[in-house]
Amino acid sequence: MAITLYDFELSAGCYAARLMLSILGVRYDTVSVDIYPGSDNRSEWFLKLNPEGTLPVIVDDGFTVSNAHPCLIHLAGKYDATDRWSPIHDPLVHPLMLGWFDFARRLTASAGVARTGVAFGGDADLPALQLEAHRLLRQLDEHLWFGEKQGRDWLVEGEHPTIADIAVFPDVTLSEEGGVSRQDYPAIRRWLDRVRRIPGFVVMSGVFPAAPAYSPLR
Amino acid sequence: MGLGVAELRQAAWYPVASSDDLPFRHVYHGQLLGQELAIWRADDGNVNVWENRCLHRGVRLSIGINDGAELKCQYHGWRYANRTAGCTYIPAHPADAPARRITNRTYPVKERFGLVWAALSPEAPEPELAEAGFALRPMPVNALPEMVLTALMRRRLAGGAVTALPPLGAALVLEGTPGRASYFVQPVDSARAVIRGVVDTEPDLETLLAFNAALSALRDEVEVEARAIELPEPIVPRYEPVSVELATMPDLVIGRQATVRVKVKRRWQAALDVTGIELVPLSGHLPTFQPGAHIDLHLSNGMVRQYSITNGPGELLSYTIAVKREADSRGGSAAITDTLREGDVLAVSEPRNNFPLRRDALRTTFIAGGIGLTPLLSMARALQRQGLAFDFHAFARSEGHLPLGPELEALGGGVTRHFGLGPAETAAQIRHALGPHSFSRHAYICGPGPMLELARGLATELGWPDEAVHYEYFKNTHEIDTSSSFVVELARSALSLAVPAGKSILEVMREAGIDAPSSCEQGACGTCLTRVLEGEIDHQDVYLNATEQASGNVMMTCVSRAKSARLVLDI
Repeated sequence: MAITLYDFELSAGCYAARLMLSILGVRYDTVSVDIYPGSDNRSEWFLKLNPEGTLPVIVDDGFTVSNAHPCLIHLAGKYDATDRWSPIHDPLVHPLMLGWFDFARRLTASAGVARTGVAFGGDADLPALQLEAHRLLRQLDEHLWFGEKQGRDWLVEGEHPTIADIAVFPDVTLSEEGGVSRQDYPAIRRWLDRVRRIPGFVVMSGVFPAAPAYSPLR
Repeated sequence: MGLGVAELRQAAWYPVASSDDLPFRHVYHGQLLGQELAIWRADDGNVNVWENRCLHRGVRLSIGINDGAELKCQYHGWRYANRTAGCTYIPAHPADAPARRITNRTYPVKERFGLVWAALSPEAPEPELAEAGFALRPMPVNALPEMVLTALMRRRLAGGAVTALPPLGAALVLEGTPGRASYFVQPVDSARAVIRGVVDTEPDLETLLAFNAALSALRDEVEVEARAIELPEPIVPRYEPVSVELATMPDLVIGRQATVRVKVKRRWQAALDVTGIELVPLSGHLPTFQPGAHIDLHLSNGMVRQYSITNGPGELLSYTIAVKREADSRGGSAAITDTLREGDVLAVSEPRNNFPLRRDALRTTFIAGGIGLTPLLSMARALQRQGLAFDFHAFARSEGHLPLGPELEALGGGVTRHFGLGPAETAAQIRHALGPHSFSRHAYICGPGPMLELARGLATELGWPDEAVHYEYFKNTHEIDTSSSFVVELARSALSLAVPAGKSILEVMREAGIDAPSSCEQGACGTCLTRVLEGEIDHQDVYLNATEQASGNVMMTCVSRAKSARLVLDI
């Protein structure tokens, strides 16, 4: 069994895959794909692997899966023996998880594009993207604030985080690089602390560890 | 419209966070009138409201690490103490104690009615509030704070009573809500605000949702209005220099100073012959200290004695010291253990640290003899807080002679107690505790002179370099030879002074009106350390290690003298 992650360090989606691999304690090899400035993802060899030209890509024992959310589903499905990260058989949880995947995509299309726009240049309409990102973060803060009042620490009901948390986390935690401050979202900031305390959590450029504290997970 | 920024700054206390915003080991990112705030609760419950800026490179402290007693900057790891915001550790200078003027800006804070309140101006009058309160979900609004207040008034239930809550607030019944609430508008910036609502009975989920819906609708309405007008520029934050008291040289007073007044809150038997004493400030909190620091106690009989602070990091509501009654007391320890009473007021010096702790060792070994465990206890508490590895060897004549046993117990598994050992057994245990030196290990030793000599000798034998062996003597037991006479030249002061036999350099300098810090005045504590530019030094102290003494460029002016006819000091 060998897993290879095609990875770009600064990509939020790749970060989601790295997080999941690390949290699940899965060993893997990395092939670095330089999206910027190298445009390696447009190269012939990479387009053979993923015709979409997007990252991350995981090749697991000959099975190829592309993009953050499919990667998360694959990893949790195959390597989480407890089924807690992706309880797809639970009709009260699975649809909510998929809903958060949609939310994560909208966040990537706003906060994420603003961030890559600031970092790599291009013609992104920053004010519009930032406005949309704030609209989404307001929703998220409200959801998490009322979650805390009901004893819910994570995006979806239950004691344990799910791949929904991992899918949403990267673009939220990197939002300030795209000019989207989280100062008005205290409940989001607390959830970021909780995610960063999940055993096996790893940082990336621009993401810092949280203060050690009780982890709700064992 | 209405009050300007300057008036709002002066005017009052404002809520800046909900109490629930400060969970265990979190740092909240706040802002008031343009001034960014790092708000965090220490493990002792104290809420800190600080300027959101590390004094080193200006990085926001709100992304820092709250370790429960200190806040650590994420960038280069500078650490600031709970309550004072005084810097306690700079990783790039692990062997030095940070200067006292490295103190971040703090704001007065109160916690009431489920909210955390702060004032930008220390003269602001006390907040006048209802007796009980439960915070609603705060509602950030991108609009002028006064527009938000106007909208609150406009959307109140027709005919309902309104109580003004100056400068920016009102108690009223908002349309669509289940009842009356006090609404405080926090002026975040010129065009940003947070509505912080408080109700007087604990709200259930349904009530919270209803208030949240009404406030969301109000926010949307005000934001539409705000988009239609030209918004003012954001307030330019004021970064004020550190206080005059911290930034300026203290007034010239010759001799040892005792600027802090404390009261004896509690005294107890901390071991046979050892009195534990808890000293509290007359008001507020005590000055920042670092692990290893000591204070001078100025006693009613005119004597001055040094005692190590035993507290852990960020504990500034009291200093706990332990005093051993010496059988051959010259009046110091006896005056304390025999006559000091609870409630007595004492003058003490600011904490001084000549025994600083490195917080970057892979493993730290503490070797304490009897009362010598006091500075080491404070150090071990700091390492324990940070989760750094240490072992603590406490030597005492018997269990009854071991001071501060319960405090030692709380340090956990790293502590080994050794009772009633003879010299050979003590040597064997110290040898075992030290082991051969390995990379990034440091040892801190404090205890009676003979034990210190023994431990230092063993460390050298085991290959420990001088810079890894740190120690503090209680007193200098060497006979001081004051028979020499020589000339000291003070290079910066452009003065030449003749030091006659029988007088110390320190005494001669003071007679000439030169102020020089000192504490123990017997060559043990390190306070009067002075750089030497020229001349051969006659070292008689027990503070400097062999390498430092051999370097010939530092000396202790309270006991050491000159072998050459002339000594040039960097004073």
